[in-house]
Amino acid sequence: MLNLSPVWKRRLLTLLVVVVVVGAVLGFTVWYKFFRQVDDGPFATAEERFLYGSIDAENTAGLPYWIWVALPQVFPDLLPGNGQGGYRAFGVPWEQGHEMPTGFTKKIIGFPRVANNCAICHTTTYRTRADEAPKIVAAGPNHTFNVQAMLRFLTACAADPRFNADTLLAVITQQTKLSFIDKLAYRYLLIPRTRDALLQRSGQLAWMNRPHWPDWGVGRDDPMNLTKYFLTNLPWDSSVGNADFPSIWNIGLREGKNLNWGGETPAPISVIIDSALGLQADPKTVVETSKWLLSYLTAKRAPKYPFPVDPILAAKGKILYDAQCASCHATGSPRVGTVIPIQEIGTDPNRLDTWTQEAADKANAAVAKLGIQRVGLIKTNGYQAVPLDGIWIRGPYLHNGSVANLRELLEPVENRSKVFYRGYDVYDPVNVGFDTQSADAIRLGFKFDIGIKGNGNQGHLYGTTLSAEDKSALIEYMKTIGPAEGE
Amino acid sequence: MTKPGRTIVLIAEAVILVFALLYFGMRFTSNSAVEYSNSLEHFKYGSTGGEILAGIPYSVWMTLPRIFNLPGGRYESFGFIYEAGKDLPIGVSKRRYQGIDRVSFNCAICHYGSVRDTPDSKPVLIAGMPSNTVDLRAFYQFLFDAAKDQRFSAALVLSEDKAMGIHEDFINRQIIRYYAVMAMQSFMITYSQRLNFIMSEPPFGPGRIDTFSPAKALLNFPTSPDKMPENERIGTTDFPSIWNQRKREGMWLHWDGNNNDVAERNRSAAYGTGAYPPTLDRPNMQRIMNWLLDEARPPKYPYPINAALAARGKTVYDQLCDGCHGPDGVNFAPNYKELGKVTPIADIGTDRHRLDSYTLPLAMNQSLLYAGTKDPNERFRHFRKTYGYANMPLDGIWLRSPYLHNGSVPTLHDLFEASANRPKTFYRGDDVYDPIRVGFKSNSPERNGRKLFLLETTCAVSKDCEGNGNQGHEGKNYGTELPQADKDALVEYLKTF
Repeated sequence: MLNLSPVWKRRLLTLLVVVVVVGAVLGFTVWYKFFRQVDDGPFATAEERFLYGSIDAENTAGLPYWIWVALPQVFPDLLPGNGQGGYRAFGVPWEQGHEMPTGFTKKIIGFPRVANNCAICHTTTYRTRADEAPKIVAAGPNHTFNVQAMLRFLTACAADPRFNADTLLAVITQQTKLSFIDKLAYRYLLIPRTRDALLQRSGQLAWMNRPHWPDWGVGRDDPMNLTKYFLTNLPWDSSVGNADFPSIWNIGLREGKNLNWGGETPAPISVIIDSALGLQADPKTVVETSKWLLSYLTAKRAPKYPFPVDPILAAKGKILYDAQCASCHATGSPRVGTVIPIQEIGTDPNRLDTWTQEAADKANAAVAKLGIQRVGLIKTNGYQAVPLDGIWIRGPYLHNGSVANLRELLEPVENRSKVFYRGYDVYDPVNVGFDTQSADAIRLGFKFDIGIKGNGNQGHLYGTTLSAEDKSALIEYMKTIGPAEGE
Repeated sequence: MTKPGRTIVLIAEAVILVFALLYFGMRFTSNSAVEYSNSLEHFKYGSTGGEILAGIPYSVWMTLPRIFNLPGGRYESFGFIYEAGKDLPIGVSKRRYQGIDRVSFNCAICHYGSVRDTPDSKPVLIAGMPSNTVDLRAFYQFLFDAAKDQRFSAALVLSEDKAMGIHEDFINRQIIRYYAVMAMQSFMITYSQRLNFIMSEPPFGPGRIDTFSPAKALLNFPTSPDKMPENERIGTTDFPSIWNQRKREGMWLHWDGNNNDVAERNRSAAYGTGAYPPTLDRPNMQRIMNWLLDEARPPKYPYPINAALAARGKTVYDQLCDGCHGPDGVNFAPNYKELGKVTPIADIGTDRHRLDSYTLPLAMNQSLLYAGTKDPNERFRHFRKTYGYANMPLDGIWLRSPYLHNGSVPTLHDLFEASANRPKTFYRGDDVYDPIRVGFKSNSPERNGRKLFLLETTCAVSKDCEGNGNQGHEGKNYGTELPQADKDALVEYLKTF
């Protein structure tokens, strides 16, 4: 022990107190400004939580809220050129009056951050007429959303010289009063780090930006290639597996069955976990979040067909359905939820071929390494026969969304549209599917061409030889396939 | 120097430094609007906070008309209204911010009109009525042109200041000379590019504006012709009257009824005065709002009314108009029949440009406005895309000429004619009243030296007709098929509103 005079002892003690206090204030400030977690709930309903609730992806994948707000305003030239502004240009469903589009979460981790949840790909909008507000259906396929365009937009912003503190803060400070500390944080930390993170993400997505590579378009992604390239270190291959976002309501029907179009995931909870991880949900909370999602989705039902149905015609159609379709599609039938061999179903094989046993093994190992216990991915040789609840709103049809509507699905391949427009949400009750050919569908939609790799509309020829009357009856019945809400 | 001497100098230096710091600190953090204790004066000249981010230096505002030889050296040629003894017109506010006096618009620029009996009589100025004479777009065009013009220089601003007796102190003169004018020029050029799509719409003329295209510009929507659908490009509308707001709470507001919250609608309109979420002067705005809610009233019709005829008109009105427009000009309230609701475009049949210019993506994106303020209730959550035009109360309807949302029908008498018989062209911007046809005079190309605007409802004369269609609000349900005597009676009754 040093032998100090009492004066020096007092001085040292004062110094120590000052250091501790300053340190504590500094530490608290840093914690408060960057790490403090504020729960984004509670939500008024389970549906609200599904649509807007955090799955804890904000820490890894979150954008600082004000950067998220500013980007479409700073870079309108990088938006898809469909004449729509802001994030709506990507076709996101957005309840009028609601702060965020569906599938977007806002959570404070030190500062407000924006990430996505399952609703980003699993919310449907539809309109019965062009002149009404879109209705929002949770857990349906998001047939209007162009996720690839959004990913490309974000990375293009980051690569643009305008992505700098001066430009972004000029826009941000027109909308909110940032404190001095927040301004510094945005200028020296959040803006540069967000730019770096987005550029890094563009590296991870480079495989989908290869020249002349088929676009996902709206309502689709390349699910198993995404899984493969994110979870494993396998080299890029030439496979293209663009596939429709599926509906995920009444997921209890799938218990003990195969999920994903190719049936690669044998358990609902595993699909939910893997999808949440794909959105960069926190591995520490992902199992708990997924369990809640499973319970919500098990209880959730398809929406009712919103137009009149002819009961007599539908009854006639049910007889045809029971004879022609039920063995693969009806609940409790032997083949529903099982994989139908590709040789039998005959639809476009590209999606199936994106996945391999090697990819399954490596992906399972990677998830296990995160400490997550789940039933693993497998390799199959076909496409699964899906339950058809709410099939009326799940168009376009087949795993790759290559058939515009149910009427065309019952036509032989040569009569199915070779080019049509996806992503317009006005419903077509005559053909039973979304409007894919009107002027507005063309202006706002994504041009789908069956000639592009992975977009083949062949196969699933069941019912195509029925008489015109029988087809109409069958379609009438299919409008009613549930269980729907309230049934 | 001796030691005490040095100490004194040091202390003196320190004192000077402290005072200098204090002075400059206070000067450059100054932020105070000119205040008016009278609520009407406040409405006319009070600030919404627009000067902070979108203000024009007072010296520039005052000298520009002289630099560019505007008539009278003021802005009267744009229809701006000057009261005797005032340096600024009605609707322009002043605030000292960072040591510099700046001006911006307030609500009164679009909602303060002028009426007179004859060209020679003194105009009566009326708060809350549509600014029938004000041509805002022409004013903005002037500003944008000025920004690019070589004559607009700091040197000229300062010399005109001197000539006009406007005193800017030494520091402000340097700021104007070396910064403010240049900054304003570059701001105006950037701003004009963003608003280019609005400036290329057919001209509005006095008393009209495109209300929601500026919101698209604010959110920087893609607006180039190849990206914006043709039918969403034009949103020309009449300035509305803004009296009796309390009674309108809960009704669907704006011409297409896209918002049912008066306070939010006001914050939205405040964007037009340059007030943004961080700069909106909330106490001042609240004062304006209180005035609008409970004090702003239309004046009585000043000419004789034939009581017997009006009484007969009331029976026609009660049968035909009351369901959509309310019982009369005073006793209206939300939830009265169809009042304050939206009539589908197929029924009303009026020009649909304004309706189509307000889009679903815009309504969605507006939900992000005011998301970053202290009060979470300020965030916009009431905007909705609609598919028709709203049924308005008719308080002070005699002053709200020309009629329909796009101001395409000059008088009430014309409104009760089928569109084929309504005037195909007429002049807007006059303030001489026509008590025979009930509305402003519309046949003179100029008024006391101020050029008026020829509105073309069809493309017979030029291509500037889009958005000006005078069709609709006609047929059996809208009074255009009534016998002439009934029409006359109805118009007589409407004068009492």
